[in-house]
Amino acid sequence: MGWKEAAEPVLTRMPTVARPEGHVPFKRKLLWTASVLMVYFFLTNIQLFGLGGQGSDIFGQFRSIIAGGQGSVLQVGIGPIVTASIVLQLLGGANLLGLDTENDPRDQILYQGLQKFLVVVMTALTAAPMVFSGGFLPANQALGQSLGVGTFGVQLIIFAQVFVGGILILFLDEIVSKWGVGSGVGLFIIAGVSQQLIGGILSWQGLGTTTGILASWYGILFGDLSLGPTFTGQWFQSILFDPGSILALFTTLLIFVIVVYAESVRVEIPLSHTRVRGARGRFPVKLIYASVLPMILVRALQANIQFVGQILYSQLGNGLPAILGQYSDGQPIGGLFYYLAPIQSRQDWMWFLGLTPGGIDPWQIGIRVGIDLIFMIVGGAIFAIFWVETTGMGPEATAEQIQDSGMQIPGFRRNPQVVEKVMERYIPQVTVIGGALVGLLAVMANMLGTIGNVSGTGLLLTVSITYKLYEEIAEEQLMEMHPMMRQMFGNE
Amino acid sequence: MASSGNSGGLMSSAGLVRYFDSEDRNAIRIDPKTVMAFCVLFGVFVQVLTLTVA
Repeated sequence: MGWKEAAEPVLTRMPTVARPEGHVPFKRKLLWTASVLMVYFFLTNIQLFGLGGQGSDIFGQFRSIIAGGQGSVLQVGIGPIVTASIVLQLLGGANLLGLDTENDPRDQILYQGLQKFLVVVMTALTAAPMVFSGGFLPANQALGQSLGVGTFGVQLIIFAQVFVGGILILFLDEIVSKWGVGSGVGLFIIAGVSQQLIGGILSWQGLGTTTGILASWYGILFGDLSLGPTFTGQWFQSILFDPGSILALFTTLLIFVIVVYAESVRVEIPLSHTRVRGARGRFPVKLIYASVLPMILVRALQANIQFVGQILYSQLGNGLPAILGQYSDGQPIGGLFYYLAPIQSRQDWMWFLGLTPGGIDPWQIGIRVGIDLIFMIVGGAIFAIFWVETTGMGPEATAEQIQDSGMQIPGFRRNPQVVEKVMERYIPQVTVIGGALVGLLAVMANMLGTIGNVSGTGLLLTVSITYKLYEEIAEEQLMEMHPMMRQMFGNE
Repeated sequence: MASSGNSGGLMSSAGLVRYFDSEDRNAIRIDPKTVMAFCVLFGVFVQVLTLTVA
């Protein structure tokens, strides 16, 4: 038991947000959630002090799931939290940590501390290359001279701000988790994606951003925008893609429908109460059992690979071996990093419409799509399994929960091992199928494009988090109205 | 419906970070209002710095 004792003094002393004492009224919870959201938006609008230009966003298209904002105090967004979570999932899923977070309070404290410690480390590791490599957060050299600290001094100041911003995101998340509804991470993702989605629907040219679908159709109907000669190839293309965006509208709606439908697809295991005869219940094993959350981990893995590529390119320039990556305008167009980059939009693969950059052959695009599909489907399934194991939704943990609540599966012996056997017939299979399905859906949505160019993963996450949030709010209200329910749900 | 009597067993939506009920007595506890106040002050501070110095 080496590392636990060694790390204990540090991990148990990590600063935490105090827990509420007793019950927090639902209105108060909403208030906390809303205030955190406002503070979050406020901070994304604060530009870093000492920047000498805009710089290019290192996260690129991943920004919608990383949250935060390029050049703002919240530059790293939830990136470090996600990366730390990946590390913990892999370690915990493979049972390398040796922590029993289900039963042992001591181990729970250690797990919490380790989690926080990893996020702090990851924040520094993410922020440092962004600041010190140059192109992403360029330091203001004139400012360095006038302050007498040089460019490196300004970079240090920028680093400090980005680092503090990253830590603040962690604490804001903790506030929402403990005092509010849902979680901060989920909240920040839906905030960003919804903002983009609303922009993609409502925005007009006068705002200086891209034209939304409503404004486009107003233009089409009143003759300001031309689609080309009716019923020709060009006409269909303009209707489907820009400016008509019918395909994007279709994909967006499809994702909404599929996610909401899939939330209700479940295998129900009948339960009966051991003592109260006639009291029956059901344990639902949902198709998206592990939810789409593991997807964010797969995407973040891809984002981190691209992150390494960007850093290497910014350091080596064209000295980067062509087999690793060739870049043009900051985007990979060849080599390993090209093939590992996920398909983000139609521009990445619709070679037959001449959308892809020149010099990329269809077979190269095919390989890239194939790799992306394999990555997302296999990765989705693997992370879903780890997720189920580490969050206490696996066969063993659920069997114990059912046992503790005094329920049993009718026709089976009242014994956790027996219940576990039954659970093992359903949970792993459903998890793998659900994870792979969500992966496939995310890639498909990215390929067809969505309204406001929110990524497929972003949209999937947003719809499912919102759905979960809705369920949680409904449950909260139920508990508000019937205080007895609080005891039943074990929240008091 | 089976209710989870396990402490911290109820998973909230998109909780990538897990928080359990158990806490160490040594841990430094911060009031959430302090965090919020710090966030706002930090934002204002950086903004004022940008406006005055640069």
